Amino acid sequence: MVTQGHQSHVLIIGAGASGSVAAARLAAAGFEVVCLEQGDWVGPADYMSAQPEAELAWVERWNPDPNVRQGLADYPLTGDADVRPVMYNGVGGGLVQWAAMWQTLLASDFRVRTLDGIADDWPIGWGDLADCYAQVARDMSVSGLGGDPALPEMDPYPNPPIPIGKIGRVAAEGMDRLGWHWWPGANAIASRRHGSLQACQRRGTCMIGCPENAKATPSLTHWPSAQAAGARLVTGARVTEIPVDEQGRVQGAAYLDRDGVEHFQQAQVVMLAANAVGTARLLLLSASSRFPDGLANSSGLVGRRLMQHPYRTVTVVCEDPLDSWQGPWGQVIYSLEFAETHPDRDFLRGAKWMVMPHGGPMFAAAEYQEAHRHDGFEAVWGANFHRAADEVFGHAFTWGIQAEDLPEDHNRVTLDPTMCDSSGLPAAHVEYRVSDNTRRMLDFNVARAVEAAEASGAVSTLVRDVWPTGIGHVLGTTRMGNDPQTSVVDRWCRAHDVPNLYVIDGGVFVTGGSANPTATIMANALRVTDHLIEARASQEIPA
Amino acid sequence: MSGSGPTPAQRLTLDRLADVLVPEGRNMPAASAVGVSEGLLDRFLDAAPALAEPLLSLLDEAPAEGLDAFVRHLASQRPGDFAVLSTTVVGAYFLSAEVRRLTGYPGQQPNPLSVASEPDYLDMLERVYERHPGYRECS
Repeated sequence: MVTQGHQSHVLIIGAGASGSVAAARLAAAGFEVVCLEQGDWVGPADYMSAQPEAELAWVERWNPDPNVRQGLADYPLTGDADVRPVMYNGVGGGLVQWAAMWQTLLASDFRVRTLDGIADDWPIGWGDLADCYAQVARDMSVSGLGGDPALPEMDPYPNPPIPIGKIGRVAAEGMDRLGWHWWPGANAIASRRHGSLQACQRRGTCMIGCPENAKATPSLTHWPSAQAAGARLVTGARVTEIPVDEQGRVQGAAYLDRDGVEHFQQAQVVMLAANAVGTARLLLLSASSRFPDGLANSSGLVGRRLMQHPYRTVTVVCEDPLDSWQGPWGQVIYSLEFAETHPDRDFLRGAKWMVMPHGGPMFAAAEYQEAHRHDGFEAVWGANFHRAADEVFGHAFTWGIQAEDLPEDHNRVTLDPTMCDSSGLPAAHVEYRVSDNTRRMLDFNVARAVEAAEASGAVSTLVRDVWPTGIGHVLGTTRMGNDPQTSVVDRWCRAHDVPNLYVIDGGVFVTGGSANPTATIMANALRVTDHLIEARASQEIPA
Repeated sequence: MSGSGPTPAQRLTLDRLADVLVPEGRNMPAASAVGVSEGLLDRFLDAAPALAEPLLSLLDEAPAEGLDAFVRHLASQRPGDFAVLSTTVVGAYFLSAEVRRLTGYPGQQPNPLSVASEPDYLDMLERVYERHPGYRECS
């Protein structure tokens, strides 16, 4: 028998970056909110970060790739992809494992078609998000320094910037010599005790969990207040379908609990917040006679235009010790020098750079091995193995370079025809190709980063090709727009086809920019939720 | 670690394979010398239990002679298996207290931040501000 949950005002699917923002806001406004999350709570007791084996966390349990990690809540990702998406399924979603880099989009990111004649404009602009950017930065206890001239003016961050340290200083001096843009990094890591966060202890394990609770994640920043205001979070709940009534309105969601028992949660409004892969998968799983190509998919764009910020790195090896296993492993400094289109370059749009530490000796060895992977066995093993620890460990930092990959219909998420998850639901099949524009963009930026390394006094550099696994940025599969024929949701992120269905995760991005997307995902979720609250009287709901 | 764990013969094989990858050099000990096939291996497999089965299969497959060629064959022809072996050896090696002492790695220890009231890079930042043309207008 399928158990029926009491009808909620709003059902949110996914307790990550966007779902957490919506739940907290709606509950505070008096809405009855239920959130279904397929994963579980995670916290310091689950982390390996304070153990001597911390570096080994990446090998399996805390590997960001769900195909490697194979946790109970994970679903398989299949397909032929130059860059395979990564994600975390649990309370907090991707923000369990993120590096907490906090970056708004550029103003130009919302007008790519108008300015550069390619891709599309967003139906909103930077100004539409300005207040929400400021609010979510406060909610996430962001530490940073305002005033970056490459960005529109914004409210000060709630905490002073994290010190740039030795690695930031060396990197910044190189950029200074070249006359290139750099700025101290903003991170959702508390430089002092703030809100629900403790002060950063520089442990350097941000991406495998902060045992000090100094890194913002929704289980600390949003869910305590959401639950105190009455929001109900159901973990271990794997949604199988979002059915519609005869009028084409969604009725709620069917889901399986950890024991495989079926439930149905009724709702007046459904908000999808399961990331750009998971949300597209759920919409496609919810095909019906009324929506034979998938729910809300009359445009045919559900699952298409996947963007992931293809990523390369230049690790800068220096003579002097930099203690660069120490954290935080956010962005110490960043650069937007090459983030905009330039007429002299053979590509459109650009990339963002950020400086990070490189971790312990196992990471140093891996970085060395990967950079020399085409140089043969002798280059990295045997007599040369110890060069990594001797030359790189503690003496290096990394310029991470994330490219703006433009939306392309053939980069897409579909349902796998054969492979299923542990509940028997089709796996997500991902096809993704790195475009020629993106490859030229990355080649150019890597060459400039090597120049920056030399200006910083590097003794050598370790250059890696495009990373085959992503960096957790999955965007674009349910794009926002004014035209129902060319977009999935409207400017308020309501499905054109279904009046009581919203998508609030990174799937709604029209273009991806080159900025780390969390600030924008959370700010947009707040914008959309506030609008839903304001417009509640006119919201269509099922009979 | 779950299961019966590696046998003495498998541990011995791992020692010999590990030294192909990580021999003594640059004032650092060989992998076998720090015990990568002993307690360090057990700690590694506790942290990465899914690697136990493929690792032990690989150790059973390794020939009695010609281990250098075997490792090179894995590296060039069987990257997945080579990754299992090399990740195990490197992961276990850097768990060694002796190796950590020699490399100067204390582990990922807490070290409280010191936030200066006035950062020492403001002069450089002033130059960024002065030379930057400002963000790209969209209207």
